Amino acid sequence: MTDFRAMLWVEARKAWRSGMPLWTALGALFLPLGLGFLIFVARNAELSHSLGLISAKADLVAYGVTDWEAYLGLFSMFLAAGGLLLFSLVISWTFGREFVDGTVKDLLAVPVARTTILLAKFGVVAAWAAGLTVVMLLVNLLLGVLIQLPGGTPVVVAAGSARVLGTAGLVLVAFLPLAFVAGVGRGYLLPIGVMMLTLLFANLLALAGWADYFPWAVPMLYAQDKLTVAPVSYILVAFTGLVGLLATQRWWKYADQNK
Amino acid sequence: MNWIIETEDLGKHYGDVKAVEHLSLRVGEGEVYAFLGLNGAGKTTTIRMLLGMIKPTTGYATVLGTQVRPGRREPWAEVGYMVEAPRSYPELTVVENLEVARRLHPGTPKAAVAAIIERLALGEYADRRAGNLSQGNGQRLGLAKALLHRPKLLLLDEPANGLDPAGIVEIRALLLELTREQGVTVFMSSHILAEVARLAQRIGIIHQGRLLQELDIEALERNRRRQLTVRTRDGAAALRVLLAAGQPAELGADGLLTLSDAASVERPEAVNRRLVEAGTPPTQLLVEEEALEPYFLRLVGMNGGSAHD
Repeated sequence: MTDFRAMLWVEARKAWRSGMPLWTALGALFLPLGLGFLIFVARNAELSHSLGLISAKADLVAYGVTDWEAYLGLFSMFLAAGGLLLFSLVISWTFGREFVDGTVKDLLAVPVARTTILLAKFGVVAAWAAGLTVVMLLVNLLLGVLIQLPGGTPVVVAAGSARVLGTAGLVLVAFLPLAFVAGVGRGYLLPIGVMMLTLLFANLLALAGWADYFPWAVPMLYAQDKLTVAPVSYILVAFTGLVGLLATQRWWKYADQNK
Repeated sequence: MNWIIETEDLGKHYGDVKAVEHLSLRVGEGEVYAFLGLNGAGKTTTIRMLLGMIKPTTGYATVLGTQVRPGRREPWAEVGYMVEAPRSYPELTVVENLEVARRLHPGTPKAAVAAIIERLALGEYADRRAGNLSQGNGQRLGLAKALLHRPKLLLLDEPANGLDPAGIVEIRALLLELTREQGVTVFMSSHILAEVARLAQRIGIIHQGRLLQELDIEALERNRRRQLTVRTRDGAAALRVLLAAGQPAELGADGLLTLSDAASVERPEAVNRRLVEAGTPPTQLLVEEEALEPYFLRLVGMNGGSAHD
């Protein structure tokens, strides 16, 4: 446990001093701000007329957002897509940077188990993703208040917020295998590429009606309506996350480390 | 003897490429062992196998009495290392990088960071980001990380790389001090024989993945070719005198006579007497030792030599 705490400090310090958490937080703000802007345009007829194409987009996306429930539901869907990009970046960077910076060799022959170092990395990834989600949610709630949406009862806001957090959790777990891909690719380019490919497949399979069985499409299903998500979909997401953790651990422990 | 490093038939193959093969060596406690070879000879692969970063295809390695296996925690608490060019987290300062290294070695006191900064003269750069360090200071930081937890064994891959001449002398003195005063064992790789010859007690020469020769520093001195060079005012006349006396000699285009036979090298005064008596006295008489680099190249079969002559 002492080793884990020490490694958590190490990983947190490395992440924080890199400035990446700040950059990803700035990137994360685009999600609630973008959604807020679209809803604002859709609800403001005068502004909507003067903005042309943006107005059409705003109407398409945000027309149905007439109350808090719909607003938080739509934000969950934004998060299922946008959070995927953000969290993938966080995972790929945390694990891939050791190879890009050539520092991985300093982690391999030390009296701290490689598994402990990896657990600390996953811990930092989880805290980082949670922080981004909370920032996005808070900004989203604030914008909802500013837009003066109706129906903001504590129950509705709490349920909507839980849906946002649940979506974020599913995205994070589904994309944990990218940590393994970062090791195999010895950097962050391969995991980013794999993430994009996965996104493409998720869309194709959703169109074909097989999204329930594709773990990376499940967060979007959940964001749309969690009541329609089959138990097997949750199991598949959990299994994918677990495989990601184990594969990362096995790879770091047993693969030849030449870099 | 208490062996700190032992390898038995250690080998690493990548398909048909044999990066290292049949490597059996032993390094004793407190010894400085230099692992010498050209680029691509297999030095770094060997060091990575010794550190458990690469699984051997054949054989095994034992470090500080523990058989090296991938992902194990032993025996690394007592091992400091630097593999290839040292790298540090560029956004962290020198102090922060050392603090990371300290936490990776539980039990290392906080004061160790300040002590190693002072010892490696990094004080001026303590708060500078590692990404902004010169190559030489980056190398110092790498050494500082390797030495921070006061290891019993140091595995250093080309430790003098990137250091200026003053830095090389300083690091050499530091390593000598560590071995003499603290009994630290050093296994270092290099491709510069002259550099390791000043530090090592034993040298292992690796070429194309195979250990060609292991020799102590005295044997190194013995094995190096020696020759007697003689300059006279009439080189051709002196050559005739020597050949007539049965002493093999060669006359170079520069008028310098070279004698490589053991009798001439061991007793240059006899050659001198003969030439004086024949009326062609030497103006210069010099016993020269083969330079280290040609010797090394001769050993590895380059520069016209053969590997085992």
